[in-house]
Amino acid sequence: MDKRLFGALLLGATMLAGPAFAQENVTITVWSLDDENQPALNLAREFSEMDNGITVEYRQIQFDDVVSESMRAFATGQAPDIIAVDNPEHALFASRGAFLDITDMVAQSEVIDPDNYYPGPLNSVTWDGRLYGVPKATNTIALYYNKDMFEAKGLDPNDPPETWDELVDAARTLNDPAANVYGLAFSAKANEEGTFQFLPWAQMAGGGYDNINTEGAVEALEIWKTIIDEKLASPDTLTRGQWDSTGTFNSGNAAMVISGPWELNRMLEEAKFDWGVALLPVPEEGAPRSSAMGDFNWAIFSTSEHPEEAFQALEYFASQDHRLFPEWGQLPARSDIELPETGEPLKDAALKVFLEQLQYAQPRGPHPEWPKISKAIQDAIQATLTGQMSAQDALDNAQATIDGILG
Amino acid sequence: MDISQTAIADRRREANPISRFLASMRDGRGFDILLVAVPLAFLIALSGLPLVYNVVMSFQQVDMFSLGTFWRPWVGFDNYVAVFSQPETWPILRNTVVFVVASIAGQFLIGFALALFFTMDFPGAGYIRGLFLVSWVMPGLVVGAIFNWILAGDFGVLNYVLKSIGLISENIFWRSDIAFSLWAVIIANVWLGTAFNMILLAVGLASIPKDLYEAAALDGANAWQRFWTITLPMMRATIGAVVSLGLIFTLQQFDLFASITSGGPNNSSNVAQYWAWELSFRQYDFARGATISTVMILVVMIAATIYVRSTRHEVRG
Repeated sequence: MDKRLFGALLLGATMLAGPAFAQENVTITVWSLDDENQPALNLAREFSEMDNGITVEYRQIQFDDVVSESMRAFATGQAPDIIAVDNPEHALFASRGAFLDITDMVAQSEVIDPDNYYPGPLNSVTWDGRLYGVPKATNTIALYYNKDMFEAKGLDPNDPPETWDELVDAARTLNDPAANVYGLAFSAKANEEGTFQFLPWAQMAGGGYDNINTEGAVEALEIWKTIIDEKLASPDTLTRGQWDSTGTFNSGNAAMVISGPWELNRMLEEAKFDWGVALLPVPEEGAPRSSAMGDFNWAIFSTSEHPEEAFQALEYFASQDHRLFPEWGQLPARSDIELPETGEPLKDAALKVFLEQLQYAQPRGPHPEWPKISKAIQDAIQATLTGQMSAQDALDNAQATIDGILG
Repeated sequence: MDISQTAIADRRREANPISRFLASMRDGRGFDILLVAVPLAFLIALSGLPLVYNVVMSFQQVDMFSLGTFWRPWVGFDNYVAVFSQPETWPILRNTVVFVVASIAGQFLIGFALALFFTMDFPGAGYIRGLFLVSWVMPGLVVGAIFNWILAGDFGVLNYVLKSIGLISENIFWRSDIAFSLWAVIIANVWLGTAFNMILLAVGLASIPKDLYEAAALDGANAWQRFWTITLPMMRATIGAVVSLGLIFTLQQFDLFASITSGGPNNSSNVAQYWAWELSFRQYDFARGATISTVMILVVMIAATIYVRSTRHEVRG
């Protein structure tokens, strides 16, 4: 039978049958930044098409608009039922009662078990000991390096730098201005990306967002300054995000880059050389590891009229976590899921490193005024790297601002 | 006979208020008021109210969860005190002044030079002048993206050109060097605004009567003297208008900052208008964002007053 005719008949049948279960049918809205190549849109569609009397209306929002759009919607009573929010901004909503406390629902749930999640992502959905969401996926950063360049400069491609000093030394060796090659690429941009890249360094050296002017954090920032001053990384590091910085690595204009697993698919396509991934170098041998923790969380707005149905949707999303990596290249925030081999040796090797790095990932915050804390850290990074302040003074300033926010 | 008939009609109108009203709507004062009232209502609804709302917000304590309500805690001048005690405030205001003055100077001088150039009637002058308008038609974000490539530190065209002609020996990091970042945006903005200046100034030049120049030439005035004694004085009103409009457009310039430097590094290319947006929509500090906008409204109002005064001559003339 002609497909279109069949569709028309089906439509007619539904319209006839419609009124019978119109009363049970519930519509929930989901807002997320995912497009058709990413999980949320697909999972929402699948859930909507299931025969459970719940229809999902999906709206895609831009990364930059997630917080402002949803705030406006919440303030005017138009908030969606479910939203995917960037993890450092979760506390902002949870602390103000904008998100639903789902602790009891999770306790009853057969599907969602908090013990299965990595501590970092789980921490980011927690406020005051209660759960206000479910981690959607997770990511972290590590060190990518160009094995061919290591070899060409007499470095061992199977022994990537493990400490900060080794990293700087390797960058000096690999740096080759005549060939338009920088030793290292990273991002010190004055937005969340700069904070995201710097915090792991501070944390490895005993600092943290609430303790940013410790000796170790100052030393970390001084090393960043050395890297910029000696032009071991492009001066544009100050204004370039992670995606563009990694682009210079892929084109062979940087020998190493600090970035996350979201680069893997593009790197496989673009990089015409042998590369590997190593854990982020630590201050000195034996020092504690740390890394940044990125990606989004699911949450239900406290204004939702259908919290039960919305939670069912979250349960469905969580039940499909095993598909995140094979289908969409994202890492599930759970330790109980074995990620299958992709058949791409470079990607599989990289994945192992990222999964290990994930063990050390720490959330930013959680704190309801995270954007202001992050801004103080960005200002310190930029003031130091542009030479307008010493690392110590800049981080002292940041600490004073952060103390004011933490109260 | 004509006169007496009109007089009768007038008396009849006075007798009937409704027909008097209708008549005045057709060609009397009522029609004038209607003509003014419609655009005025439009302006009040779409410009006036948001403006007042913005000013009110700058005196309130606002956070994202009180965005939807109008009645928020009143804090007087607290936001103003807070803004002006931030260490970055004065550098950013200084940047704003540098940006405005340098952009207007660049746009005006190059625009004036081009306008004078195109008054020399050479073949194709009209077409080429039209082509210059392309820069004015381009959206700021597109211009910003193109200038990003031109100004890129490692692979930029501008660095390549400057190096090739021997002006510089090392790459200039236009976007990341605090000594150049503001100038990177100024260069892009001058390019964007020059054509607009040129067209307005060309119109002004065309309206100067040719016989003035002929008379001056007969009296033995050279080109330079004619420029100083005829062109400039006759262009006074146009120049005033162009500069005031330039001030308003430059203070509005946002796209180029967003796409070229994002105000960085370390606020070295940050200006008031971009900062207001950053505070409101990056740090969600709507009250401070509104405070800066209010300060800018004052500046723009001063510019608008100058603009209106300079165009008054045209109306009377």
